[in-house]
Amino acid sequence: MTGITRRTALTGAIAIPAAAAMTRAAKAAPTAIELFFPVPVQGMLANKMKELVDRFNKEHPAIAATAVYTGTYDDTNLKTRAAIKAGRPPALTLMSANFVREYVINGDADPFDPLIEKGGSTPAAFMAQFWPALAPNAVIGGRVYGVPFQNSTPLLYYNPALFKEAGLDPERPPVDWQAWISAAKALTKPGAGRWGVIWPNTYDYCGWITSGLVMSNGGQYFNHDYGGEVFYDAPSTQGALALVDTLVNRLKAMPPGVSDANTCTGALFAGKAAMMVLSTGSLSFIRKNMKLPYKVAFMPKNVRNAAPIGGGSLILPKGNTPARQAAAWTLVNWLTSPEIAGEWSRFTGYFAPRKAAYDLPAMKTYMAQNPDAKVALDQLEYAVPWFDTYNTIAVRKAMEDQVQAILSAKTTPKEAVAAAQKAADALLRPYVEKTALRPLA
Amino acid sequence: MSTFVEPYAAPVARAALSRRRPRFLPAAVLLLPSLVFLAAFTYWPVARVVAQSFVVGRFAGDRGLGLGNYRRLFADPHFAEAAWNNAAYAAGTILPSLLFALLFALALRESTRFNALLRTLVVMPLLIPLVAAAALFSFLLLPGEGLVDFYLGKLGGPMINWLGDPDLALGSIIAITVWKNTGYYMLFFLAGLAAVPQELLDAARIDGAGAWRRFRHATLPMLGPTLGFVVPIALVNALTQVDHVITMTQGGPSDRTNLLLYYIYQQTAQNYDAGLASAATVISVAALLSLSVLSFRLIERRLYYES
Amino acid sequence: MRAEGRLLLPLLASAAALLWAVPFAWMAVASLRPGVPADIASLTPAGPFGFDNFAEAWKSGSFPVWYLNTLFVCGGILAVQLVSATMAGYAFARIAFPGRDFVFAAFLLQLLLIPPLLIVPNLATLASLHLYDTLFGIMMPYFASAFGVFLMRQTFKSLPRDYEEAAMLDGAGVGALIRHVLVPLARPGLVAFAIVSVTAHWNEFLWPLMAVSSPDRQVLTVGMASFASGAEAGSAWGVVAAGTFLVAGPLLVLFLVFQRRFVSSFVFSGFK
Repeated sequence: MTGITRRTALTGAIAIPAAAAMTRAAKAAPTAIELFFPVPVQGMLANKMKELVDRFNKEHPAIAATAVYTGTYDDTNLKTRAAIKAGRPPALTLMSANFVREYVINGDADPFDPLIEKGGSTPAAFMAQFWPALAPNAVIGGRVYGVPFQNSTPLLYYNPALFKEAGLDPERPPVDWQAWISAAKALTKPGAGRWGVIWPNTYDYCGWITSGLVMSNGGQYFNHDYGGEVFYDAPSTQGALALVDTLVNRLKAMPPGVSDANTCTGALFAGKAAMMVLSTGSLSFIRKNMKLPYKVAFMPKNVRNAAPIGGGSLILPKGNTPARQAAAWTLVNWLTSPEIAGEWSRFTGYFAPRKAAYDLPAMKTYMAQNPDAKVALDQLEYAVPWFDTYNTIAVRKAMEDQVQAILSAKTTPKEAVAAAQKAADALLRPYVEKTALRPLA
Repeated sequence: MSTFVEPYAAPVARAALSRRRPRFLPAAVLLLPSLVFLAAFTYWPVARVVAQSFVVGRFAGDRGLGLGNYRRLFADPHFAEAAWNNAAYAAGTILPSLLFALLFALALRESTRFNALLRTLVVMPLLIPLVAAAALFSFLLLPGEGLVDFYLGKLGGPMINWLGDPDLALGSIIAITVWKNTGYYMLFFLAGLAAVPQELLDAARIDGAGAWRRFRHATLPMLGPTLGFVVPIALVNALTQVDHVITMTQGGPSDRTNLLLYYIYQQTAQNYDAGLASAATVISVAALLSLSVLSFRLIERRLYYES
Repeated sequence: MRAEGRLLLPLLASAAALLWAVPFAWMAVASLRPGVPADIASLTPAGPFGFDNFAEAWKSGSFPVWYLNTLFVCGGILAVQLVSATMAGYAFARIAFPGRDFVFAAFLLQLLLIPPLLIVPNLATLASLHLYDTLFGIMMPYFASAFGVFLMRQTFKSLPRDYEEAAMLDGAGVGALIRHVLVPLARPGLVAFAIVSVTAHWNEFLWPLMAVSSPDRQVLTVGMASFASGAEAGSAWGVVAAGTFLVAGPLLVLFLVFQRRFVSSFVFSGFK
C-alpha cells in the first residue's frame, strides 16, 4: 500500500500531463512547406495540383504542404527569386527545366545529392530512374539540382478531315519541311478563314518552338555545356527563321503577328487551322475539348529529327532549414513516384519522366486507349535539351523579339539572326568576362 | 491679417499672445507624421535612386562610380523603345481621354435621370483595378474568338490580332487605358463646368456667339484650373499605369508595348540590374517632373482667365 | 438646323456611353454561363445559365485571404492617412509659419512621385526596415498622403473661424480643437477622401506585387492576376469573368448604391 507515495503521485501528476503535452506538441506541429508551381499549358492544372497536394498531406500528417500557384514559368521564376532574396524561400519550386542552370550559376539552389545519399541511393542510380534525355537540364556540374516532374516535347496536331479534303493522306503527316510547306499551302483556304498551320509565339513558347526548329535544321542553337554562348547568327538558325518567314509572309499559310496558345487551340477546335504545333502538355486539354477528330505526329525535320524537351523540374531553393528540406524531399519523392507521375501524365498529357510509370497497369491501359500519348514518348529518341544559358529569359527574348518581328514582316531572317546575336552577346558579356574571358594575367 | 492663435493655450501662456513669435514648433509637430513618411518614401528614395544610378558594377563585388549605367541605358535598344513607346502612349492616352471626358461632360452635364445613367456607365471603369480591366480585355481582344472579332466577324470583317500584331498592340493597350480613365477625368470636367457662371454663357449667347465660340472663349478659359489639375494627373497615369502591360503583353510583341515603368520593372524583377533600373528611374522621374511643370505653365499662360 | 445640331452631341454621347458599358455587359453575361460554350463572346446568349463559374472561381482562388488582406491594407492606410493628413492640413490652413509655401510645394511633389514610380529605392527601404513581404510594407509609403493634406487644407480653409476662436477662448489646445471642433465640421471632406483613398488602394497592383511575395499575404489585385492567368489557361473565360466580378464587385456595388456620394467625393477631392 505504500506503492504510491506522495512524491510518486506528485511526480506522476506532473509527468503524465507533461508527457501528454509533449506528444500533443509533437503531433500538433507538422512541418509547413510550400510548393510554388506554374501552369504553363492549357488545362485546369492548378486545381489538380492542389488536389494532389491535399492528398499528400492526408497521407503524411507530419507535413503540411501548401501548393501555391505562381503563374507562368517566367512568373514562377521571378517569384521564387524574389522570395529567396527576401530570405523567405519556398521549400520547393516546380521550375521550368531550363532555369535550373541559372539558379546554380547564381547560387540560388541546393543540390539534391545529400538527400539522395541519405536515402541510401546514389545520384547516378537516382537519375537512372528518369529518361536519359532529361539529364542535361537536371544535372549541372555533376550534381542533381532538378528532379524532373513533368516533361513535354512539341507535337504536330492535325485535322485529318481537312487533310482529306485537301487531297492529302491523313495517315501520312508531313515528315520533313518540304512536305510540311506544301501541306500548309494546300490546307490554307483564305476564303474560309482557314490557316494551314498555327503555333504560339508568345514569350517562352516562341523560344521553345524556335529552338526545336533550329535543331531540326541541324543546329545546336546554344552551347549545351556552357551558359555563355549562343549560336543565333548561324546558318541553321537562319534557315529555321526562313521557314517561319516562308510560312507567314510568303505563303500566308500561318497567321501574322503573335498568336497565343488560346488563339491556337481555339483555331484548331473551330477548324480554322489544319495543323498546330503545341506542347504535349496540352494533349489532355485538346482531347477533352476537340470535338472534331484529330491526330498527332512528330515535328517535321529538315536535317535531323529534334524535339526540344520542355517541362518542369522540382528544385530546392537556397535558404531552407534541413527540416524543411527533408519534408520537401518527401514531397518530391511522392510527386515523382510512378503512381503519381503517371496520374499527372494522364491528366495533362505531359509524359511521365519516371520510366517506371509506364510499367504500371493504369498507364498501360491508358496508352493502349490513347495512342496519341505515345507519340510524345516516341519522340524522346530525338530529344534535345532545352535552351538554358546565363540570364536565360533575357537572352531567350533577344531571339524571340526578332522572331516576332518576322511574324509581322518587319525584318528578314538574315537581319534577325544578326540582331539577335548582337543583343544576346551584350547580355552574356558579364558572365563571359568572369569565365571564358576572365583576365588571365 | 490672419488671426494668430496661441497653440498652447495653457492658462499661463494664454497671456502671452504674440503676433511675431515664429510658429515653427506647433506646425512642426502637426507636420511631423506626414513628413516622416514623405521623407522615407518620396524624398529619400529620390536621393537614393540618383546616388545608386551612379554606382557601376554588374556582379556583386565590383563597385565603382561613374556614368556607366547611363551609358548602358542609352545604348540599350529596349530603353529607347520603351521611351519612344511611352511618349506615343502618353499622347495616345492623354489627348483622347481628355477630349472624350470633356465631350461627355459637355453632353451630359444636365442632371436628368438619363444623363445620370450614362454618366454612371462611363464612370464605372474607374472603380475596378486595371488588372481586372486587363482580364476582361484579354478576352474581348482575343483573335477570332473574342468579343470584338466575334462581332466584327458577323459584319464580315477579318480576324484581327489586336494584341499580337506589333502595329496594333500599343493601340490596344492605349484603348484599354482610355476606357479606364475617361470617366475619372469626366468627373473633374463636370465639376469645372458647373463652376462656369451661367451669366457668362448667357451673355455670350446674347452676343450671338455660336456654340463653338461660346465654348472657346467663355467655357474653356474657365476650365483652366481643371485642366491644370487633370493634365498632370494624366501625365502621372501615363507613366505609372503599366498593370495591363505586365499581365497581358509583357512588353511584347517585339517590345512594342514596352513602357518606361515596365522597363524599370523588368530590370528590377527579371534581370536584377539595379544600376540600369536606377538610371531608368532617374530619367523617368526627371521627364515626369519637367513635363508636369511645362504643361502647368502652358495651361496657366494660355487658359487662365483669358480675356 | 440648330435643333439637330444640339441633338448630335447627346446622341453620340449616348452611343459612346453604351460602348463604354460593353466590357461590363460581357462580364455580367459570361460569368453566368457555366462551361466553355463556343460563343462565349456573345452578349445575347440563349442559356443555360447558372452560378457555377462563381463557385469555381471562389474555389480556384484564395478569395477569403485576399479580401482580408486587402481590407486590412486599405483600412490601415486610411486610418493613418486620416490622422496625418488632418494634422498637416490644419497646419497649412491655419498656421502661418515661415516657409509654408515651400513645404506645401514639397508635399505636392508626392502627387507626382508616387510609390510605384520609385519602386527601386522603395523596395530597398522596405528591405532595410525588415518590412519586405509584410502587409505593413505595402501600407507604409502611403501613410503620408499629399492628396489628403491638400484636401484637408481646402476643407479647413473653407470653414469659418468662429468655431475655432470660440474653442480657443474656452482654453482648448490644438489637439482638442482639431479633434472635437474641426473634424466633425470637416466630415464631408473626410468622407470624400476616404472614398478616394480606399478606391485607389483597393485597385493598386504593381506596388503590392513587388512588395510581397508570400501567397498568404497577397491582396485582391495580385491574387486576381494569377487566378486569371490560370483560368485563361483552361480557356475558362466564364470563370475569368466571375473572378473579375469577385474582385471588382464590392466597389462597383458600393458605387451603384452610393452613387452621389462617390461622384461628389472624386470631384470634391480634385477641385480647388
